Amino acid sequence: MTTPAGAPPPPPDGELAPSRLDPRVVRVWRLGSAISTAAVTLAAALACALAEASLLWALLVLALGVAEGVLHPRAAYRAWSYTVGEEEVRLRRGVWWRRESVVPLSRIQHVDTQQGPVERALGLATLVLFTAGSVGARLAIPGLAAARAEALRDRLAALGGREDAV
Amino acid sequence: MPSDAVPSETPAETPREKRLHPLTLVFSTGAVARQMVFPAIVGGLSAGQGDVGRIVSVGVAVLALPALLAAVAKFWFFRYRLAGADLVLRSGLLSRKHRVIPLARVQNVEVRQGALQRLFRVAELRVETAGGSGQAEAVLSVLAAAEARGLRAEVAARRRAALPAAPSSETAPGAPEDGAAPSEIPTRSYAPPLVKLRTTDVLLAGATANEGGVIAAALAGGLQLADDLRLPWLERLGEPFGWLERAVGPGSAPLLALAVALGVVFLFVGWLFSIAGAVVRYHGYTLAREGGELRKRYGLLSVREGSVPLERVQALRVEESLLRRAVGLVTVKIETAGGAPGEGGGRGGAEAFVPIAHRGDLPRLVRGIFDDLDFDRISLRPVDPRSRRRAVRRYAVLVGTPALVFAAMALRAGEPGWLLALLPVLPLPWLLARWEYAHRGYALERGYVVARAGVLNRVTWIIPDVRLQTAHVTETPFQRRHGLASLVVDTAAGGKQAVVIDLGTARARALLEEVVARLHAARRARAPRRGVA
Repeated sequence: MTTPAGAPPPPPDGELAPSRLDPRVVRVWRLGSAISTAAVTLAAALACALAEASLLWALLVLALGVAEGVLHPRAAYRAWSYTVGEEEVRLRRGVWWRRESVVPLSRIQHVDTQQGPVERALGLATLVLFTAGSVGARLAIPGLAAARAEALRDRLAALGGREDAV
Repeated sequence: MPSDAVPSETPAETPREKRLHPLTLVFSTGAVARQMVFPAIVGGLSAGQGDVGRIVSVGVAVLALPALLAAVAKFWFFRYRLAGADLVLRSGLLSRKHRVIPLARVQNVEVRQGALQRLFRVAELRVETAGGSGQAEAVLSVLAAAEARGLRAEVAARRRAALPAAPSSETAPGAPEDGAAPSEIPTRSYAPPLVKLRTTDVLLAGATANEGGVIAAALAGGLQLADDLRLPWLERLGEPFGWLERAVGPGSAPLLALAVALGVVFLFVGWLFSIAGAVVRYHGYTLAREGGELRKRYGLLSVREGSVPLERVQALRVEESLLRRAVGLVTVKIETAGGAPGEGGGRGGAEAFVPIAHRGDLPRLVRGIFDDLDFDRISLRPVDPRSRRRAVRRYAVLVGTPALVFAAMALRAGEPGWLLALLPVLPLPWLLARWEYAHRGYALERGYVVARAGVLNRVTWIIPDVRLQTAHVTETPFQRRHGLASLVVDTAAGGKQAVVIDLGTARARALLEEVVARLHAARRARAPRRGVA
């Protein structure tokens, strides 16, 4: 039996082990955090200059941004897990605001893979599940190896596009 | 049952990817130009005025250029193809997107042609699924008109092939059970209509709709009465508030009084409008169950008639505001897929909204929509008692902050005696928490999930098991501290979803599994009947 390269192996009876994201996603998040920290610090510095307040405020903003960039991506990575089961996809994520979501395969309307330039450079992709729900209209799993994301996308689209196999 | 059934295509069979029609460039730059017209006019007019004109012109150019580049990139990097039972789209340069739409999921395929597009013989193809994001999932703009029409026919044909058991369900968005054979749609009819409103009911609906207005009306009436009676003690009542004037600033009392008075007047007028509006809109409201449909008819000046197939009902939402609860009235929203009820439009969001009904009539109305649910027999289970502790803290902050401000002002004005007025406020957080807890509950009836919450506006959700789309357990950091979590039951109805707030974490996770299991069981129970044409 051949499984497409990178696809998760079909789960053994019963036991479904959650999968982690690709560790490289931490780098993507750190880069994103660095960019936004830089932008916010710049804005804060401008505001300080205009309001003639001490630049220490901008430095505080910078410190907070750096702390977040160092600590949060790692924590978010540890908090993230997903499971692709026989009948549903489960996602678990969140550091402060935790969420666990269950998406029955029969509810998946269509599936996207998305790659920003940084993700592409690192060989990662984001898998996005679309359902007819509102809260769960769009559920994304970031930081997957590109091949794995593609295999999952095609598999979930195929499974979702059938009626319930009974 | 193959679980890794990835459709395989040998390289020779892989359908060729196609691009959009080159005229796309013209149309998308035209769109950009349209957006830039107003700023461009402003820029042109102020061009002669030196610096400002130059800045605006430069601004327009700066904004237009990336938009133009984006339009070009969008055309250049967009690819589509029909691969087996899917429509596959690829797009993007910096951010690449690869979308697979199983044709079995397609609800609606449309070819649109504007006048200009007709001239150039191009058209736009839109493919919609039941996806909750509100826009068409595939927009191919523009294609050669013949290509667009051919593609639509091909999508429709492959979709039919992918769903052998589906009779014309192309116009039933959000009915996840596409393929419900006519034989399984309940055909019962209810002889007297489920809801029939008299004029007094409609007036009550309008009068109780805007609670602020009712309070304002009461206040306005009261103030008027007081003025007429010229009770001396009322004037003395106003005297102590002189310290308020001292605290906030001299001369502020008249301003504050004016602000309050104006606010009251606006609310009162709004209330009158709400009554009038209710009468015009809902006069003669009738809701009847006929076969597998709910038929409604209402209106005074323009009469509206519509029907909602029962198959499209995603959930029921019973709303009881504080005021309406007091007079035994409820509002019922029949949630269908797409937009929220009460709004026009949305994909399938028909106006399915019972503006007012008597609480006593509710069980019959519910049974008219959900044949096997007895509303009066539903017994709700309470949420976790620890939620009260959390609520006390929340209300303490909510009540405490204005109280502290008040106390600070009183002290600043040197009137510590007024602090006594805060005494009755002290037990408020605890009372409010108890009240809130008493109004929360949930139940797993046979075939339905029921969730209730809210004090000022109590909302009871009734969701058939089979309508679950996704389910979530969420924990805010505050909830985590108390060992609590919330369960979100997501349906294809637009807007807010049913949430059971503040369950114990273990209970929330257990319920998560259970509602999903119920969904699977309900779908399996339906399946044998499916396919019988």
